[in-house]
Amino acid sequence: MLSKVFATLAVVITGSILLYGVTDFPAFGDPKSPASAGVPGSESVSQYFITESYGDTKVPNLVTSVLADYRGYDTMFETVVIFAAGMAIFAILRVVGDEKDSRKKRVEENTFTNGDHSRIIVGTTCRIVVPVIQLFALYVIAHGHHSPGGGFQGGVILGASFIILALSDHLNAALRRFSEKSYTIIAVVGILIYAAFGVVAQLLGANFLDYGVLQPLLFTDGPEMARSHSMLGVEIGVAFTVTAIMFAIYANLSTRGLLRNGL
Amino acid sequence: MSDQLPAVLVLAPLFGALLVTLVGWKDHRVCFPITATTLFVTLLTAIAAAYQVFTTGTIDYFVGGWEEPIGIGIHLRIDALNALLLVAIAIVAFLVSFFSIRRIGEKNAEKTPYFYSLFLMLCLGLFGITIAGDAFNLFVLVEVSSLTSYGLIAMGSSRRGTLAAFNYVLMGTVGASFYLIGVGYLYLKTGTLNMQEIHTIMGANPEIAASKAVSIAFLFILIGIWIKMAFFPLHGWLPNAYSYCPSSSACLLAPLMTKISVYVMIRVMLSVFGYDWVFLSPGWSNLVVWLAVIAILVGSILALAQRELKKMLCYLIVAEVGYMVGGAWLADKELWGLTGSLYHILADAMMTLCLFLAAGIFAKRFRAREISDLEGMFRRAPVVSIGFVVGALAMIGVPPTAGFFSKFYLIRGGMDAGHWEFVVALLISSLVNAVLFFRIFEIAFFGNKPAEGHGHEEGDGHEDEADLPLSKNPPTSAPPAWAGIFPLLTSAALILLLGIFNGEIVGFIRVFLESLPHLASHLQ
Repeated sequence: MLSKVFATLAVVITGSILLYGVTDFPAFGDPKSPASAGVPGSESVSQYFITESYGDTKVPNLVTSVLADYRGYDTMFETVVIFAAGMAIFAILRVVGDEKDSRKKRVEENTFTNGDHSRIIVGTTCRIVVPVIQLFALYVIAHGHHSPGGGFQGGVILGASFIILALSDHLNAALRRFSEKSYTIIAVVGILIYAAFGVVAQLLGANFLDYGVLQPLLFTDGPEMARSHSMLGVEIGVAFTVTAIMFAIYANLSTRGLLRNGL
Repeated sequence: MSDQLPAVLVLAPLFGALLVTLVGWKDHRVCFPITATTLFVTLLTAIAAAYQVFTTGTIDYFVGGWEEPIGIGIHLRIDALNALLLVAIAIVAFLVSFFSIRRIGEKNAEKTPYFYSLFLMLCLGLFGITIAGDAFNLFVLVEVSSLTSYGLIAMGSSRRGTLAAFNYVLMGTVGASFYLIGVGYLYLKTGTLNMQEIHTIMGANPEIAASKAVSIAFLFILIGIWIKMAFFPLHGWLPNAYSYCPSSSACLLAPLMTKISVYVMIRVMLSVFGYDWVFLSPGWSNLVVWLAVIAILVGSILALAQRELKKMLCYLIVAEVGYMVGGAWLADKELWGLTGSLYHILADAMMTLCLFLAAGIFAKRFRAREISDLEGMFRRAPVVSIGFVVGALAMIGVPPTAGFFSKFYLIRGGMDAGHWEFVVALLISSLVNAVLFFRIFEIAFFGNKPAEGHGHEEGDGHEDEADLPLSKNPPTSAPPAWAGIFPLLTSAALILLLGIFNGEIVGFIRVFLESLPHLASHLQ
């Protein structure tokens, strides 16, 4: 009881302090707020992005250009955060059971075709829907620098398609297509792709993640297009890791780390 | 290549972690060599970076080459404030990697690659935090280090460890969110995330510096960091998390996590908000120093009450955090408090490492978790005991160990600032440490338990043994003894070296303090 009173008190105090600070904020949507227009004596960062990012990178979606190029270092480590989450969950949950036993079970509980008719409607629908979802995921990934989307969103959708497969059919059905070995490798490869763009730039004499110098390798007209293509590349890297870790987390959580039977 | 040092510092552990995950899957035996090699490369990089800072000054690195206008890209910075800390992190990580060598053929061996992957990513996070020159980038790397540390703590087999990790997850998340909210408020008022630029803007626009939102931003950032460093009223998560987790995780986390948070606090105070802004009103300084005094006293007294060795060390960490926070907030004219605090970050990292390694060896090889189990330890493990004694003497503050000199500088700062309560708390804490450790020495040296030799060493049925080696069956090949003794003795030697060369190190730290324009006037 007392702890509840304390907790409520802490929440109320924190909330009131934050609200007190809000009274000092620039008006909502104010074009002259420091974040949009800068402060006297200092050029605004967002103004720079709005006016210069297309020229710098030839990417129409300026959110993508900020995310994947100007602040690409952050985004790479956000991907590492997701990878680390996956590794932490493996480290805590994963249990390697009796190998023979699990193989036997896999044969037994093969798919919904082994007489369980209640799953036919769900199974068939999902079988039809999953390819569409995956196609859409690929679109979201590939179109990230022209429209809203990108590696994180596309990766989540792609990962969700495998989760739907696991839910509607059986975890083993999904694991047969996306095994533990392959999702571990794909998660690693995703970050490797991202970091490779940075390291190759370093080898060519520029700073980490300076995509402009990749121009001769990507056969583009100028450094701007090299940036644009590299952004697509790193988004694909992000999508690899996110897809793999999404599904891996589901597979481990739903089976308490045994990776068999599932829900 | 030398201008790429900041990037190499985070990329080497990243590639190491990826490689361990990929290759370690097939063969667990390659995990340790990869980790050790990676950390050795990182150590060399950190030393090279520190040397470069020493000879040519601050290293600024703009990721992606986005340098102008400042703030559009991400700025990494190695200066005299963080150069030595980088070396310290690299040393601690390298040494702990030896301690984490695992027995071959033990239970749960399949988790080895995950352990090393998390280990390396934690190092990556810590390096990234240390070199970050961008307030948001710092948050991203805090996330990397926090997530990996949750995993490392929860990996043990004990249920209490899992519960402690869960508490830590909740507290850590609150801390990180508070930091993020603070950065958001700051961005709203200044329009940039670059630390240096925020500082410039606040200096040039007094009305922004004086605004409520900026003060609240500072408050939230500060409280967020305090949660992460387990500063007194927010320390609840630490003792259980660090004492019930696997020994090798504890040896890595205990010396580094809290110290990095102290560094972040000092970095935010000096490089983002600025010394003059932070100490504009002396009321805050007095309040924080009093909190630090309470932290020191509470940590020391609770340490006295513990029966488990690791738990006792954890409460000592709480007290040590009080030292560093208090020192940083003393605001004495010549900044000896801040100097002592920065020096103590290094000294305490080594001291904590040394003591946790010793405690880990006692727990791993002798199943001695309680202080009373240490009876006759000097006879049973003389070399380990020597390492433990050096760490303990440093904790008490006996010259010429590093612990003596950090207390010396901190007390000098406290006297200059007129914060006598801080001086008294430091002396009481030293006294309590002396009582604590001499009690242990007495048990370990004069304990009348007959030396049972090797018969006692392996497994007397501690089911909740939180060590990574979860083996109940006697292992076919135990990790070699040097895997524990080498890092322990190295850390003990480093404690002495840090103490002996304290003048040089403090000189290096003060180069930074004197280089800050707004501090130069204070120092004259």
